[in-house]
Amino acid sequence: MNRVDPNSRPALAAHVRLQIDPVNGEPILLFPEGVLVLNASAHEIVLHCNGNAKVHEIVTALSGEYEIDEPTLCADALECLNDLLDRNLIVLKS
Amino acid sequence: MTFRPYALLAELTYQCPLHCPYCSNPVRYPQGEELATAEWQRVFAEAARLGVLHLGLSGGEPLARRDLADLVAGAREAGLYSNLITSAVGLDQKRLADLQQAGLDSIQISFQSDEAGLGDVIAGANVHRRKLEAARLVRESGLPLTLNVVLHRANIDRLETIIALAEHLGAIRLELANVQYYGWGHLNQAQLMPTRAQVESAIPIASMARERLVGKMELVYVLPDYYETRPKPCMQGWGRRYLTVNPVGNVLPCPNATSIEKLQFDNVREHSLAWIWNESASFNQFRGTDWMPLPCRECPQREVDFGGCRCQAALLTGDAFATDPVCTLSPHRDRVDRILSALADDAVPATDWTARRNP
Repeated sequence: MNRVDPNSRPALAAHVRLQIDPVNGEPILLFPEGVLVLNASAHEIVLHCNGNAKVHEIVTALSGEYEIDEPTLCADALECLNDLLDRNLIVLKS
Repeated sequence: MTFRPYALLAELTYQCPLHCPYCSNPVRYPQGEELATAEWQRVFAEAARLGVLHLGLSGGEPLARRDLADLVAGAREAGLYSNLITSAVGLDQKRLADLQQAGLDSIQISFQSDEAGLGDVIAGANVHRRKLEAARLVRESGLPLTLNVVLHRANIDRLETIIALAEHLGAIRLELANVQYYGWGHLNQAQLMPTRAQVESAIPIASMARERLVGKMELVYVLPDYYETRPKPCMQGWGRRYLTVNPVGNVLPCPNATSIEKLQFDNVREHSLAWIWNESASFNQFRGTDWMPLPCRECPQREVDFGGCRCQAALLTGDAFATDPVCTLSPHRDRVDRILSALADDAVPATDWTARRNP
């Protein structure tokens, strides 16, 4: 099973649309028959998933922005991204 | 308590080139003109304002609507995630490109079997090979492909090869749904109901495949509820999350709700979707738990399964308020057991069903 590591380059899968819920302003992922509400940190991570940036680069960018230590943020980001990978909502670009 | 609808099923037309004996369309079609392009577009915009995120474009066969790309464009403009639920008959490269251009998000193709011989018998038309070709075109287009296969006595033994077909076609999602016994499915129940042995063989095949395919293909397996001991949480509760608009504009809390003869449905030509969702008698009839009889009213499961399916209760007990008779706590469970015990353990697949007809 393919897993996300700090050198992975994640991107949203082609069938997934990131959108703001017009009713309550929450960030959501839409995909066939499903919706996933993102918390604020997952939203920030997903916004950086462009298929170019590596996970460790995303983490560095976010830790500068939010003053969270990098190891904690990296562990959180990997957990979040592996969950999205299991749900087939992101892909890893080579 | 207020509820928010998340998904709208738009049944665009009852016309269909297939004749599947379990079709979810009503056996007796309602009278009236199909909604026009602008009427559907208005409904989609109203649905989005109510909170709807997902739109299923269904039928009949939605490709029978020549204005389908305009409807998809309307859905995209409203911000809905649109899924075309199709037999794929009539889905050629040009049509697919138009739909993709208009903003279609995903496509769900029905298959009746993994091979043409049986598939075409079930569909009542020579369509299996055209479906394969259409699935290939969808994959080439980059649109996400879901396969939906309705399971019953004639095809459930082919589950392994059906799953292999979905993998081979590159589907991201496979829905394996056992026949629901309403409408045409109820009419053909004697031919369609799988035996207990068939159901028990199918479960491990589906669950092992689901595990194996994690991260590759989402596999949804819906058990035939007659073999369950607790009812399904039908529609996640009446009027809680879903609404259906049928071809003539009637708004239904579930696609089969017309099988409850005493219910009257309101029409988008006469009322706003918001009024129908919030105020109409049909949507409020079975909302919440106050309507429930015993044993549901005092059952700890009442917010889990919502008393099961109202249409099934009406069909099997004559009373839409009754506990879903699938539940072993229902005083009417014997009606389900009688149907199952009438089915011989060694019943063989039979295809002498009544094929679905167009209006």
